[in-house]
Amino acid sequence: MQTQRILSIKSPLGPPVEILKHTFSAQSNKPRVSFVAGLHGDELEGLYICHKLLRYLKELEISNPEAIQGQINIYPAVNPQALENATRLWPFFSLDVNRTFGSGQIDSLAVETSQILLQDLKSSSEIVIDFHSSNLQLMELPQIRIIKDFEKKLLPLAKKCNVDLIWIHPNAEIFASTLGFNLNSAKIPALVIETGICHRIHPNAGDQIFNGMLNLLHETGTLNIELGPVKEPKLVQSDQVKMVQAYHSGLFIKQVEVGKFLEEGERLGKLIDPIEGSVLKEIVSPCSGLLFTLREHPLVHKGSPLARIVEILSKK
Amino acid sequence: MKEKILTLPTPYGENLELYKNVWGKSGESLSIVSGLQGDHLNGLFLNSHLTQFLDSIIEGLDPHYTLTGQVQTFPVVNINAVQSGTRLWPLDGMDMDLAFPGNPQGETAEAIASMILQHTKDSFWGLILTSAPPHYEDAPHIQVYKSDNSVKKMCTDLKIETARRRKKYSTQKVNLFHHWQEQEISSVMISAGSPRTINLQQCENLFQGILNFMKAEGILKDHRNKNSENKGKTRIYQPDEEILVKTSTAGIFLKEVKVGSYLKQGQKIGEVRDIYSGKRLEELISSEDGLLITLRQYPIVYEKEPVAIILTAKKSWREYFPWNR
Repeated sequence: MQTQRILSIKSPLGPPVEILKHTFSAQSNKPRVSFVAGLHGDELEGLYICHKLLRYLKELEISNPEAIQGQINIYPAVNPQALENATRLWPFFSLDVNRTFGSGQIDSLAVETSQILLQDLKSSSEIVIDFHSSNLQLMELPQIRIIKDFEKKLLPLAKKCNVDLIWIHPNAEIFASTLGFNLNSAKIPALVIETGICHRIHPNAGDQIFNGMLNLLHETGTLNIELGPVKEPKLVQSDQVKMVQAYHSGLFIKQVEVGKFLEEGERLGKLIDPIEGSVLKEIVSPCSGLLFTLREHPLVHKGSPLARIVEILSKK
Repeated sequence: MKEKILTLPTPYGENLELYKNVWGKSGESLSIVSGLQGDHLNGLFLNSHLTQFLDSIIEGLDPHYTLTGQVQTFPVVNINAVQSGTRLWPLDGMDMDLAFPGNPQGETAEAIASMILQHTKDSFWGLILTSAPPHYEDAPHIQVYKSDNSVKKMCTDLKIETARRRKKYSTQKVNLFHHWQEQEISSVMISAGSPRTINLQQCENLFQGILNFMKAEGILKDHRNKNSENKGKTRIYQPDEEILVKTSTAGIFLKEVKVGSYLKQGQKIGEVRDIYSGKRLEELISSEDGLLITLRQYPIVYEKEPVAIILTAKKSWREYFPWNR
């Protein structure tokens, strides 16, 4: 494994801010695959998956180096200051780095950093995996979200990743400033994997995605290894996704867990008024289906998302 | 007159209420929006100053003016951020100016964005009042996407001498300004000062500019036969006329110039000193003559950070001909 600093910025107090890239060299010219974690500094699930990949590949490099047929790059912590502070945003600038990709942004150190990362990924990858967790509020089942425009190229890859579902959704203007969108626009397939919730690590989900990443590397020919089967993800179109929102502000007390198959009318939780001591509403599922997003942070304002359910008519 | 335009319940107590002020019932309307970011206080103060002024006209306390058009101001958009004393609302960490066009059924930021757009979309003119990004100070200037005649007239009527044409950028389609442009509202953004501060002199100058604008556009009549002034001319700088001065070291940046001043080529802007030793690490120099439009205000700097933006007085091709000199 070779380690390279793709960016090093002198800091006012001494130790530089650095983005590291670990590279496992290839025995042949199979697709080069890159893994990125920590673009949001409070999303740790991706760091765990990168840790597992690093351990596995280091061992493989010693025991069976011929198995590495394509170059593998791991960028385990691309927003170091945010990671050190456990904040979503780069704290010094209060800036979401995943909104600084794309053209014409106001010049700043954050924008320069994101451009360097983007260029490095472009120059050293045929496929990129960008790991994310959800925000402070929501818990997500392991999933890949694909913008409809990129479906043709991304779907075959996404199916190999051992996720529970693949959500194909329309484009939205805000995506134009994200890493994933800019890589895909540059014809470098980039899968955005979303799992768990920020500030936490769920080893089971991490292990599931780790196995999926090995499978992806195997299927693309980048790794020549023997593997067992992976799960077949549910393909979800946007019109199958039912979102439950808070009709009023209050505290949401969940009564189910993400991943559950719900019947229509089944209870998800209740919305309570913490000041008056009243139950504002019992929250129930609007349809039968798989609960793949659930509110974890109890504090809700009117309109806050509480749950997302993929409408499925039967468990089969 | 203060008018409630949105009420949202909160988990722990009083409702969250979004207000606008509105004056006049006929004629084309001007919308002035401030407080998209919770720490942009110059615009917020300027809007409150305008409110006081327009109220005094409507109440007959100022005999010099009559309101002949419509004006509506939205002093605070990101209410939660202003109340938190932060740029963004800590709960959602979302930049309010990335929430447009919004969604009336959505989360707080989306619901507010939707309501602001709904109330302003039929305006004839629009002004968005902002300040510099965090850590910087802006000399008062206008920001535009295009420089057609209507924009040039707005700039001149506002009596602001400097305008910057911004490059198209990847997040602009979720900005309020973009949606106003889509609605063909004659609009500009005005940036002045730095976050978390109020610069009274800048606000007063901008207030006089907006007054002049309202007179020029027939929104306000001055009975003293004082017509609007449009003697000054606004220079619209193109993106390639901007020079960034960046640090090559990290430490404490000590500025030696004032934002808004004209710099000579070779003039010292400031220096970076090492925090531990106090030694000078580098001098930051202006590479060309030009207007210092943005200057670093927060002294702690990393390497490769911009500390100044200079608008260069590049000559137009016409100026190279001897008969035009």
